[in-house]
Amino acid sequence: MSEYDPSTATIERELAAVEDALAGGVATSDEASARELQELALALRAEAPEPDPEFARELRTRAKAGFPPATGSLAATGASLRERLRPAKLRRALPAMGVIGGILVPIVLVASLAGSPDTDDADSGAGGGGAAVRADDGGGSVAPEAAERAPSGGSAAVTVSPGPPPQRFAPGQSNRKIERSIGLELEAPVDEMQRVADQVTSVTNRHGGFVLNSSLSTGDEGAGGDFELRIPSNRLRPALRDLSSLATVRSQSQSGRDVTRAHVTTRDRLQAARAERQSLLRRLENADTDEQAEAIRTRLDLVSAEINGLRAQLRDLRLRTDYAVVTVTLLAAEDGDDGGAGGAGSFDDALGDAGDLLAGTAGILIRVLAVALPLALIAGLGWLIGAALRRRRRESALA
Amino acid sequence: MLVRSRGVSEALVEPLALMRDSQAEGFAELYERTFPRVYAYVASLLRDRAAAEDVTAQAFERAYRKRRSYRAGRGTMEAWLFGIARNAALDELRRRKRRAGLEGDREDTGAMGPDDHAELALRRQTVRAALASLDGRERDLIALKFAGALSNGEIGRILGMSESAVGTRLHRTITKLREACHE
Repeated sequence: MSEYDPSTATIERELAAVEDALAGGVATSDEASARELQELALALRAEAPEPDPEFARELRTRAKAGFPPATGSLAATGASLRERLRPAKLRRALPAMGVIGGILVPIVLVASLAGSPDTDDADSGAGGGGAAVRADDGGGSVAPEAAERAPSGGSAAVTVSPGPPPQRFAPGQSNRKIERSIGLELEAPVDEMQRVADQVTSVTNRHGGFVLNSSLSTGDEGAGGDFELRIPSNRLRPALRDLSSLATVRSQSQSGRDVTRAHVTTRDRLQAARAERQSLLRRLENADTDEQAEAIRTRLDLVSAEINGLRAQLRDLRLRTDYAVVTVTLLAAEDGDDGGAGGAGSFDDALGDAGDLLAGTAGILIRVLAVALPLALIAGLGWLIGAALRRRRRESALA
Repeated sequence: MLVRSRGVSEALVEPLALMRDSQAEGFAELYERTFPRVYAYVASLLRDRAAAEDVTAQAFERAYRKRRSYRAGRGTMEAWLFGIARNAALDELRRRKRRAGLEGDREDTGAMGPDDHAELALRRQTVRAALASLDGRERDLIALKFAGALSNGEIGRILGMSESAVGTRLHRTITKLREACHE
């Protein structure tokens, strides 16, 4: 350790003196210490080795030519290739490759993971009975025949499927009597509920049916409506098509019950009762005594009562088979759903969709960043440590 | 012809001029300006003429291939070139370290000419002996300053130090050399 411990001012002054000497090429300081350093600096400058002129000429030529590899020299080609593919270059590229990989791999992972639930949802939606189905006029209407294919009395919602040829189970046969019940859930925005309700009544009347009872609420809380309709069976198909086009069909259920046997039995019993009545009337005309006539009248009263009862039964059966029971439930559409009967959505809907899209994108981005950021940090840290180690290893040559 | 707007300060004009100069300067100009100093620096560090020539050629070729990677914001072009030369020289030193360390290496860079005067010869011998007393880092600093003729700021860029730290270390090393010359 030197005993010479100069102040900062002295250091600055002597360094300035050294710089002056190097710039001017002579030691000019009046101060002995500084002048000594100036002379030493000049001596050190003079000690600088000079290149061999031959080497200088050769290198200058190569530099002017852009350092071409020596022609025909395998070693030069190898050296050039080594220079281009230096491991150091690859090492330097590793962090960047790591960062890119760290970003790309999570994106692929998240995208593949995010894609799966959508597919599952789509599948379950297609097979489930609760999916919203929008019927259209081009074959999306519900075929009443489908009701007969469903289990008797079943109320499972069925999807509207276009195209299948109608099955001939009962409707085409005049001797079969089918009692039909249709449940239809329509979804509409609250502000369109009144219009849909009016159109339900209008459609019912247009197809020769009638509204048995109805209720409608359009308040902010619990908006909705219920309609019990009777629609002629022979008009059921077009009527259902028109009703489905009024709003989004949330679900639909159909059931059918074959009452042909009850109808035939009642009709036969009525015919028999009528025949008996005719017979009794004839016997009454031919009665010989008052007692016989009284007994026949008593029997006639019973038969007439039976005929009236059977007529009522038959009329009730006919009403139930000639008119299908259609129950329409009107539901308020949730926010963000497409509640319009045929529109492409309002500006608010578009804004809502855009917000959902942005939120989804942001979600994916956050997931990607959650994976990529730590990887990028690790890669960056690795690169920094690698660079420091390389520098330290290189500088160890000076130790 | 340079037309200067009124009210434009020197501080604004000077960097533009420098940038224009650096853009006009080709690699050939850089080579002409720096070749002797780069060689002197490398030779001072390696103390072996043959190795110094190889490393100097390698450094210029490497700089030529990487010339597009130079960024003016990270220092002067000379500092960038000397950084490349220094890395090449240190790599060479590491390769040679098994055979002979820096301290005990063969010295053939300063062969004396026939016309050297006795006094000058004695002085050079003294300085060389003093240089031999320095460790590797100190000799590297001296070589960058006096053989490479770099400014303290440029040396700081190469060594990863501040300009003032370079000045302090430089003063300490020269002082040590002076004392070694007196011994």
